[in-house]
Amino acid sequence: MEPTTTNIEKQTAAGVDVTTYDALVIGGGIGGEEAALNLANMGYSVIMVEKDYSIGGKMVHLSKVFPTLDCSACITTPKMSETIRHPNIEILTYSEVRGIEKDGKIFNTSIVKKPRYVIEADCTGCQLCEQACPVVVQDQYQYDLVGRKAAYIPFSVAAPRVAAIDIENCTLCGACERVCPPNCIDFTMKEEVIDVIVKSVIIASGFELFDAKKIPQYGFGKYKNVIHAMQMERQLVPTRPYNTVLRPKDGKMPDNIAYVLCTGSRDKTIGNPICSQVCCMYSIKQAQLIMGALPMADVTIYYMDIRAYGKGFHEFYIQTKNMGVEFVKGKIAKIDEKDDGDLVLHYEDIENGGAPKTATYDMVVLAVGVLPQNNIPELFKNEVLELDEFNYVKQTDKLVNPGMTTIDGVFVAGTSSGPMDIPDTILSAGSASAETASYLRRL
Amino acid sequence: MSKINPEFADTLAKYGAFDITACFNCGTCTSICSLSDEDNFFPRKMIRASVLGQTDKIDSSLEPWLCYYCGECSTSCPREANPGELMMSLRRYLTARYDWTGLSAKFYTSKLWELGAIILLALFVLVMFILFAGPMDTTLTDQGGVKLNTFAPAKVVHIADWLMAASLVFFLTGNVFRMYWRTIVKDESVKIPFKLYFTEAWKFVFHFATQWQFSKCGDKIDDGEKKKEKTSTYWIIHLFLMTGYVLLLIMIVGFLNWFQTEEIHPWWHPQRLLGYYATTGLFVGLIYFTVQRIKKSSEKAKFTHYTDWTFLVLLFLTTLTGIMVHIFRITGLPYATYYIYVIHLMVLFPMLMIEVPFSKWSHLAYRPFAIYFSNVKIAAKKIKK
Repeated sequence: MEPTTTNIEKQTAAGVDVTTYDALVIGGGIGGEEAALNLANMGYSVIMVEKDYSIGGKMVHLSKVFPTLDCSACITTPKMSETIRHPNIEILTYSEVRGIEKDGKIFNTSIVKKPRYVIEADCTGCQLCEQACPVVVQDQYQYDLVGRKAAYIPFSVAAPRVAAIDIENCTLCGACERVCPPNCIDFTMKEEVIDVIVKSVIIASGFELFDAKKIPQYGFGKYKNVIHAMQMERQLVPTRPYNTVLRPKDGKMPDNIAYVLCTGSRDKTIGNPICSQVCCMYSIKQAQLIMGALPMADVTIYYMDIRAYGKGFHEFYIQTKNMGVEFVKGKIAKIDEKDDGDLVLHYEDIENGGAPKTATYDMVVLAVGVLPQNNIPELFKNEVLELDEFNYVKQTDKLVNPGMTTIDGVFVAGTSSGPMDIPDTILSAGSASAETASYLRRL
Repeated sequence: MSKINPEFADTLAKYGAFDITACFNCGTCTSICSLSDEDNFFPRKMIRASVLGQTDKIDSSLEPWLCYYCGECSTSCPREANPGELMMSLRRYLTARYDWTGLSAKFYTSKLWELGAIILLALFVLVMFILFAGPMDTTLTDQGGVKLNTFAPAKVVHIADWLMAASLVFFLTGNVFRMYWRTIVKDESVKIPFKLYFTEAWKFVFHFATQWQFSKCGDKIDDGEKKKEKTSTYWIIHLFLMTGYVLLLIMIVGFLNWFQTEEIHPWWHPQRLLGYYATTGLFVGLIYFTVQRIKKSSEKAKFTHYTDWTFLVLLFLTTLTGIMVHIFRITGLPYATYYIYVIHLMVLFPMLMIEVPFSKWSHLAYRPFAIYFSNVKIAAKKIKK
């Protein structure tokens, strides 16, 4: 199905130690894929480093995209396949860039490939290991809503579709090893350091989701029926784990659901003063999807401002309002849990005089924001990659060359440069790849 | 119609407020406030009025006095606009607004005025002593105590006390009346039936005596037992200090002949016990609040206006010199007693004259009056319904 053996393995077998690529793309999400594909289609050779088991980033886990309500996975999986099959793109999954050193016009790059304990080239993705594995742990790809095995295919549309062993939770019982038809499970696998030479770098490492536990007043992690938006997103995808929307504590179908906007955005107390740009719209989108999944449920969105700024966004917001979703101006200050698991929200009813009020809901969704990944500058050993005041990669010439960073030959794409939605990420990746191509031509 | 004044934020900044224009009206402060309810809700509306400079609205508001500054609004404000400190600044501002002499505004906005007034009043006391003090008798009483009433006869000092108390009452009642005028009489939204002033009066007494709101302040965010303990610790220590101060004021103004004696009573005598209780209360409170302010250990202690320091320092010096007079007197050190006694009054007099009608100690009157007025209004609205 996927490439049977990687270029690096071939070359290593042939005794070549270092490979040269035109571009290194850090991150295999939608931004990284877009940038890599653009360059590869122009004939440049690309090496992509993805820290996860599969490429696809966060977009592959989403249900629909706003405001068109297109199926997210249906858009992103063809791109994933194209990326993984492209002859000019080499992908290293479950790998991390350890260090990049600029040497004249090239970058000496050292990449760590962590052991997944499955020989990628041999795995057929048959999932027999998954059936055999006796260990059940929380599934991070379903945002802890359901369980998975310790030997597992990360998710159904993973690319590459190769199993991995979660060694932290593995009991080393050997059950998977015994059932694996191509005998590709190898517990002796070790971390591997791969050194490559690249001529340019594109940072497309994406964003971190805000950890809702950092706002203890909302009780995330303590009150089971308080979930974050990615968990709701997973409950709304076609391959959703419960096949409907249920609240986690008792499996009750919620009659009323509240959204708490700006959880971890525009909030100096947790160190992120800026708007995440996507939470208003994804919450509005989820509200529409909930109305489809649970026609009888009431959805209320608590907001500070609704920022529906893109093409068709405002119309989508008005449509959602007209569909019966309630919008209440007021930031939720605090959530309490009742004995039956219902949740009491405290807010100021600003539009009706301003008295402090409470409202009770079956389930609360925290519209968590977008945070920068802060370990990117550490990768550059002899140059300084500057960050902007919000800790995103600094765009030195934002209006003329938005992909440019403080290091010549290093470009930035997508949410590594700031919060943005999917279309903007793709635009940004397109621009970064064009700037990279132009840089490579002039090299 | 209410007037707006965009420059009001600059005025308020002199009273301690911070970047109030940072507020984007999310309402977190009001909903996290444990003293906010459907009848009186704050601080967001006060921030809004301050940003717009609706001075008429601010002048007629009781809300700043209903806030006891737990600081939870400030810690949870996503814009770090410091609503708690804004409410504190509004209390300072309103104290200045209620004061018709204009002195309060001067003291709050000019260090020179404040310091100048303290020195002037202290010198006045010194001059009075130079002019009217009795001889510094170095012989001791039969019990071995200093003959303080020869140097500064309690009867004479008592008259001065009465004059001082009369002026304090004069200024303070004037200010409270202005508060009443602006917050009740000029509020056209509600007509107060006369009998409510009597039926609600117990609330004034209750809140004055117990400072009950302090015990409720800041218990909305419940991070376990620790927080609860902190709230009640603050309340008890504040109550200790407050009762100590009020007790001393009553003894000095009302019963100086009984309090300032040459006779050394046994330790269990009420005169001594009450004095020790008040002194301890004052010391414990002052040390606690000073340490909090220096260490900035709680939200309300983070920002200290210079008038807060004046208040703490003067009160501390008064307490210290007061207990020193007592110790020197009973141990029989005449000169030490006399000099310290003069210094004691040189600190005490400016402190009372400045703090009680024009500065922070007026809270002691405004706060219970605000609760009383607010309850009267609420009761009137209920009747109307």
